[in-house]
Amino acid sequence: MKHKRFTFVTVSQHFMMIMFSLLAIFPLYWMIISSFKNESEIFTSSLIPMDPTFQNYIYAFQEMPILRMMLNSFVVAILLTVLQLVTSILTSYALVRWQVKGATIIYTILSLSWLIPMQVIMIPNYVLINQLGLNETLIGIVIPLSVSTFAILSLYQSFRSFPQGLIESARLDGEKDFYILVKIILPNMKSTVASLGILLFISGWNEYLWPMLITTEMENSPIQIGLRSFVNSDVNMWGSLMAATTISCLPILLIYFLLRKHIIESFVRYGIK
Amino acid sequence: MRNNQGNSIGVSTLDSVPAKKLAAKKLRLFAKPYLYLLPTLLLLWIWMYYPLFSTFSLAFQKWGMVPGTVPSPVGFENFVRLLTSKDFGISILNTVFYTVGIIPFSIIIPLILAVATHNMQGKMKNVYRAMFFIPLILAPVSDGAIWRWMFHPTNGLVNNLLLDLGIIQTNIAFFSDPLFAKWLILFITGWKMMGFGTILFSAALTGISKDYYEAISLDGASRFQQFKDLTLPLLSPMILLILMMSLLFSSQWTFAYIDMLTRGGPFGTSTNIYYEMYKYGFANMDVGLSAAAALMFFVVFGIIAFVFNLFSKKYAFYDN
Repeated sequence: MKHKRFTFVTVSQHFMMIMFSLLAIFPLYWMIISSFKNESEIFTSSLIPMDPTFQNYIYAFQEMPILRMMLNSFVVAILLTVLQLVTSILTSYALVRWQVKGATIIYTILSLSWLIPMQVIMIPNYVLINQLGLNETLIGIVIPLSVSTFAILSLYQSFRSFPQGLIESARLDGEKDFYILVKIILPNMKSTVASLGILLFISGWNEYLWPMLITTEMENSPIQIGLRSFVNSDVNMWGSLMAATTISCLPILLIYFLLRKHIIESFVRYGIK
Repeated sequence: MRNNQGNSIGVSTLDSVPAKKLAAKKLRLFAKPYLYLLPTLLLLWIWMYYPLFSTFSLAFQKWGMVPGTVPSPVGFENFVRLLTSKDFGISILNTVFYTVGIIPFSIIIPLILAVATHNMQGKMKNVYRAMFFIPLILAPVSDGAIWRWMFHPTNGLVNNLLLDLGIIQTNIAFFSDPLFAKWLILFITGWKMMGFGTILFSAALTGISKDYYEAISLDGASRFQQFKDLTLPLLSPMILLILMMSLLFSSQWTFAYIDMLTRGGPFGTSTNIYYEMYKYGFANMDVGLSAAAALMFFVVFGIIAFVFNLFSKKYAFYDN
């Protein structure tokens, strides 16, 4: 008896999960197959392209400087990851290694800035970037975002759980503080830092509002902003738009398939902003 | 703390070391941590706190961001204009709509998905979870482009299907229809965020000892009672955390979709507070109005965060 009920529950659970999984990935599937449909098929509901074509991709590359924008995205995402990691590692280390005077104030400053949305500070930042002549540049996108308080607060939690004894004994051996950070702490926290890095890369790649304000020309934009202007230009080229969208998703999907476990784990560890 | 250091004891016993050198060393020791903190604090000041104060002061001025012009003080005029404008009222209501509306997607559905997959045996559990997660890591622009295509007013999949099934007779322009626009924005944001809660709840569930469940089921507790009396209380810190994130960030999560899909329309029916700030500033070039909205909402959100912090300190049950 009990076994039978269990089976019924299991089947209905699987049914529900399959429905939700379909809901989650169907749009992605639709994007990919739309990108391979030819002109006569693109407006139909067929679930597989009957006569698959690369034409949409060729158009997309003709219409948009896709490679250039992808490169921009890579540069932005990598620079953001590196800068955000460096600032958060230095900050977390200082707060863990020393009993800094005013640590509470610093922690409050960090926590509060986690709550400041870009929309609140975008105008002064935009004005400043313009004054510095950094609009339409990747540096202009990266600099204001180079500290992630989210990363600091998360990394600080991990640093605090690092065995103090190790730091202490290295210090008694007369090691330099920077040496302790680079040769003792970081090697032991490789996976923590790496998983935070993946998260920062993904969010840098997906960054929206700020790059959109700073760059208007496609050549200067990350791929996301290029896609946005292509969607808004109201050309009815949905096949090639889906081709470009597919390309823009590729790096993230690739990273996801390769590092799925780490990515999920880092989301669990760090959450999201 | 410094006194524990072997060399500083040595220094104090040596009279030959000049006091000047000692003071310099003391200063260096004192300053060192701050050198590590400097890049962060400097960048935060330049790009977050200083602009925050600039925004606050711009809220009392009038400016069109035209190069060569300077803002002129107008007192509380921006706030008066803001509070008497119809759009602003709608945007606040919509902000509340999105904030409350996201909760089923960030908490209730993920809770169900996490509990259901948690009890599963074998590989499928991870396959499902991996799929729920995909929308979350994709860029809002990509998601927005796909959904805009699926809901295309004349050739989209959804319209085609509804027509084929005979549910509708004429195409629906979903994103320019006030009946649908904001619900779709909410749905798409929710679709994206579904995996977030699921993953966090799944992790929290894995941390709960199986013994608890065995004990309670020996007492004859049904599955639902187990969920209500054991799972929910043990998940309460996670529920509170996700609830807090939803309250604080849902307006930012919807921003990209509002921009990509409706631009706040039709007639401002799908806009939210952050999108209005963006429009005031960068479409209408009305910096003062944008800043006033920012100031008001920063204060309100600050209060919410503060209250929530107190609340979660008081009620959440932490294991560690």
